[in-house]
Amino acid sequence: MFRLHDVSYAYGGNRAGVAALSHISLDVAQGEFRWLLGPSGAGKSSLLSILSLEVQASAGMVEILGVPVMQARRSNLARLRRRIGTVWQDFRLLPDLSVFDNVALPLRLQHRAEDEIAHEVHAIMKWVGLENRLDARPLQLSGGEQQRVAIARAVIYRPALLLADEPTNALDERQAGRLMAMFHRLAELGTTIVVATHNDAIVEKYPAPAIELAHGHLVRDYR
Amino acid sequence: MVRRRYHDGLALHQALPGQFLPFLVAAMSFLAALALAGGIAAHGLSQRWTHGAGAVTTVQVPGPDDPAAGSGTRIAAVQDIVAHAPGVATAHRLSDAELRALLAPWIEQTGDASLPLPAVIEVHTVPGQDPMPPLLPRLEAVAPGVLVEHDSVWSDRLAALAASLQACALLAVLIVMTVAVCVAMAATRAGLQTRRQAIALIHSLGAMDSYIAGRFASRVGLLALVGGLGGSIAALPMLLAMSHLAAPFSAMTDAQAVAPMDWHSPRAWADIVPHALLWMLLALPPAAGITGWITTQLTVRAWLRRLP
Ligand SMILES: Nc1ncnc2c1ncn2[C@@H]1O[C@H](COP(=O)(O)OP(=O)(O)OP(=O)(O)O)[C@@H](O)[C@H]1O
Ligand SMILES: [Mg+2]
Repeated sequence: MFRLHDVSYAYGGNRAGVAALSHISLDVAQGEFRWLLGPSGAGKSSLLSILSLEVQASAGMVEILGVPVMQARRSNLARLRRRIGTVWQDFRLLPDLSVFDNVALPLRLQHRAEDEIAHEVHAIMKWVGLENRLDARPLQLSGGEQQRVAIARAVIYRPALLLADEPTNALDERQAGRLMAMFHRLAELGTTIVVATHNDAIVEKYPAPAIELAHGHLVRDYR
Repeated sequence: MVRRRYHDGLALHQALPGQFLPFLVAAMSFLAALALAGGIAAHGLSQRWTHGAGAVTTVQVPGPDDPAAGSGTRIAAVQDIVAHAPGVATAHRLSDAELRALLAPWIEQTGDASLPLPAVIEVHTVPGQDPMPPLLPRLEAVAPGVLVEHDSVWSDRLAALAASLQACALLAVLIVMTVAVCVAMAATRAGLQTRRQAIALIHSLGAMDSYIAGRFASRVGLLALVGGLGGSIAALPMLLAMSHLAAPFSAMTDAQAVAPMDWHSPRAWADIVPHALLWMLLALPPAAGITGWITTQLTVRAWLRRLP
């Protein structure tokens, strides 16, 4: 589902920039669930932003869902992004849109019919338990509620690759459990999932193969 | 529940407010309309001055009453050839009085009233034609020493003046267009800057460059179209007044120039306003809209290149 070969990334250019990732090689198959582990500053978010096509690797080879990213045309990258769902560490909800419109955004960009969009949004918001907050603005929600909106927006278009950066850090234990159950269900249905966290408790509770980073280096890739 | 269609987070009515840009475009369209009107008027006047009644050719026949090479007098023979040549509107032989009035300054200087005068024929040609040069050999044959002078000094000067006025108008229009492009670019950049987070987000959700550029461009294109419409409408009364003042100078016939104006007839207005001017006023708003649309497309696409 995605392959990295000898990938490096530096913020602000290769020479003078801060090296965030060095010589990472990875191969993750379809339907796999992987933890992405490492201490703060290890490069977890940086790796996810390469996988979500937010930044281009400074060096190396990146292939996602069969598309060689470094050589792909812009329009093909845009199409590829529609098959990748991301829950960002900082949520990235648009403050001037309602919760409904935030969650509907990916479907609107794919020009889906409005009644189909309404149906999908209501279903997913019911699942995350926020079906009565559709008209609220994101800033009127608690941190955990915002995180659940961000999760809903990432899964609503059934991406083939789902990336989540600390998706449980604002959730309580029960909600975190529900989220993990959903991740496993999606993986069973063929979604490839990578979840970054430095929450050891949840990793112990839900054991799965892990990619471990330290100082931008891959220290362990075990199944 | 009714939800507005374009809730894609770009919030363009905030990013590109609907007052500032149309007002600027209207002001620039107004200036462009005035400049273009000046150019069209200069063109119209130069047409008349260089090809119309302003162009006069004089034919001088020395010894007019001497016998011609064929039969009759020299002046009669010359008049016969000139008057029947195609492209000649009128050929009028100046009377002695007219001639003396014309030559008064020189005659007074020499103080000799009995100087033998040549006959002078004033030839008005059909606008746009210059029939005299081909006639020269025939005139020379019947009346050797005949002198044909195309009085083009003034019409040449006027044509040069009109040409430079047209060049100025063109330059003004080019400058206005350049400023308009810069304004559309600056407004678009400011809009992109205020919505950069939303743009980055929808970009990462898979929005195409063409989608984002299209959304900005249709907004700017619409605002520019509205502005252009405003500018055209604002310029209309002034151009009508100017056309009315200019009508006597650009009318092709004297009858048209002195005929009383029927102020209530749209036809009469349409007659005095050059058609080119009307077309220009109609073309201005779409031109402004298209210019805004293209500028914005290019600006947004260039800006989006910073995102991978
Ligand atoms: N925008 C940026 N500009 C420059 N350096 C950055 C930027 N973002 C991250 N870094 C640096 O890159 C390195 C990796 O950061 P990254 O955010 O990937 O870590 P992380 O593993 O996600 O940490 P955390 O667990 O705290 O989220 C860090 O040293 C960080 O300081
Ligand atoms: Mg991080």
